[in-house]
Amino acid sequence: MTTGNMWQPVSLSHSIETATSAGTRLCGEDLVVWRDSSGVAHVWEDRCPHRGMRLSFGFVRGDHIACLYHGWQYDTGGQCQYIPAHPDLEVPKTIKVPVYLTEERAGMIWTTLAADAGPLTVPADETGTVPVQSLYVDCSADAAIAVLESMTLAPFSAGRDAETTVSVVTPSLYSVSTGQDLLLVGIQTITDERTALHVVISGLPEVYEGGGQAHFLSWALDLRYRIETPPKKTFAVPAHTVAEAL
Amino acid sequence: MAALTLYNYELDESCYKVRLGLSMLGLTWETIAVDVFPGKEQTTPAFLAMNPAGRLPILKDNHLVLSGTEAILAHLAKTHDASGKWLPESGAAFALVMQWLNFSARDLDATIAARQHSLFDAPGDETALRAASVKALRVMDDHMTARGFEGADWFVGSDATIADIALFPAFALSRDFGIDHDEYPALRRWARKFRTIKGFITMPGIPDYH
Repeated sequence: MTTGNMWQPVSLSHSIETATSAGTRLCGEDLVVWRDSSGVAHVWEDRCPHRGMRLSFGFVRGDHIACLYHGWQYDTGGQCQYIPAHPDLEVPKTIKVPVYLTEERAGMIWTTLAADAGPLTVPADETGTVPVQSLYVDCSADAAIAVLESMTLAPFSAGRDAETTVSVVTPSLYSVSTGQDLLLVGIQTITDERTALHVVISGLPEVYEGGGQAHFLSWALDLRYRIETPPKKTFAVPAHTVAEAL
Repeated sequence: MAALTLYNYELDESCYKVRLGLSMLGLTWETIAVDVFPGKEQTTPAFLAMNPAGRLPILKDNHLVLSGTEAILAHLAKTHDASGKWLPESGAAFALVMQWLNFSARDLDATIAARQHSLFDAPGDETALRAASVKALRVMDDHMTARGFEGADWFVGSDATIADIALFPAFALSRDFGIDHDEYPALRRWARKFRTIKGFITMPGIPDYH
């Protein structure tokens, strides 16, 4: 069980291009994830202090994000710096958007709702990562993880079947390995009943870009299908056995 | 009367698809505004004579009177696009554009119904329409994720086609019926690219800024 006070991934790094933004939720809190023009990722509360408009509907200009409603511009610290309707106004320091700790690791953007969370313990990428997909499913994180742990993975690099190993890296990061291939799956608790699984390949882009991504996309879509399609109970298997397997 | 005449309602995304097609092909056309809401003018005899189904858009191209969004887009590309890129003629690319036009006409109908329910109080089961819309948008996002792995920017082939035009409004307007762009990263990327096409225009509900 993870909480919003622990580090969790909120997007694949690849999904937030430079100078763009997108909304998401972490444990029910609305967040905007955005990347400034120098490439640095930010995670904030998704709410303009002016009229409550979602900042994820807004647009990025340089190192500022601007609200779609009235163009109020905020710097990378969340401080409002410019109000177009009052161009000469020195904006009061009280007009500030709550910002959250943000790190990029394992090809994902990570945040925590706690200001005093310790450092992110996800290991640094040694070989680089290659994005696959973010899966969004209607179930708890625990239910999604239970299916993840039951998955087998066909290797891309070696032609023959190898053993699949699923391990816990942190409470919000799982690794799935087979042969020479290693996938990382970041778990985001959107709400108690909605979960995102962010899938990347741990490895060199020159090895996995293209064919390797397509190979593991098939696996990711299979994982999503299995999460969304619980196995049917049969007469041969008593109901309590199915429940235990899950 | 101009050679090309569009019977248009500004808030109708199907009319918007045709406006996008006309604009991106660099054509000039005349617009005749139709009082769809609240007037339902498209269901009056003069309009039923042009399209008995009682729907917009309707395009007049000289003596041809054409209805059906995908048919209009195909006609425009076939007869007014010297480059041949908007409706490729080669076997697989042609077939795949047809596949996505069919998807637009059938699967994205739920998004149209969801939006009309949300904006104009048209009848409909909101939960079912929402679920069908999410399903269709996810099909599109999965496709564009895979296309990204091939280094491709568009739904079919190496250039934008009328398939992209037919598919864009459902995603761009999804907030009108309560579906955010949050969970469709491949469609966000595609939509940003789509907005850079020469001749791109917006409609109410699609911000000029992005």
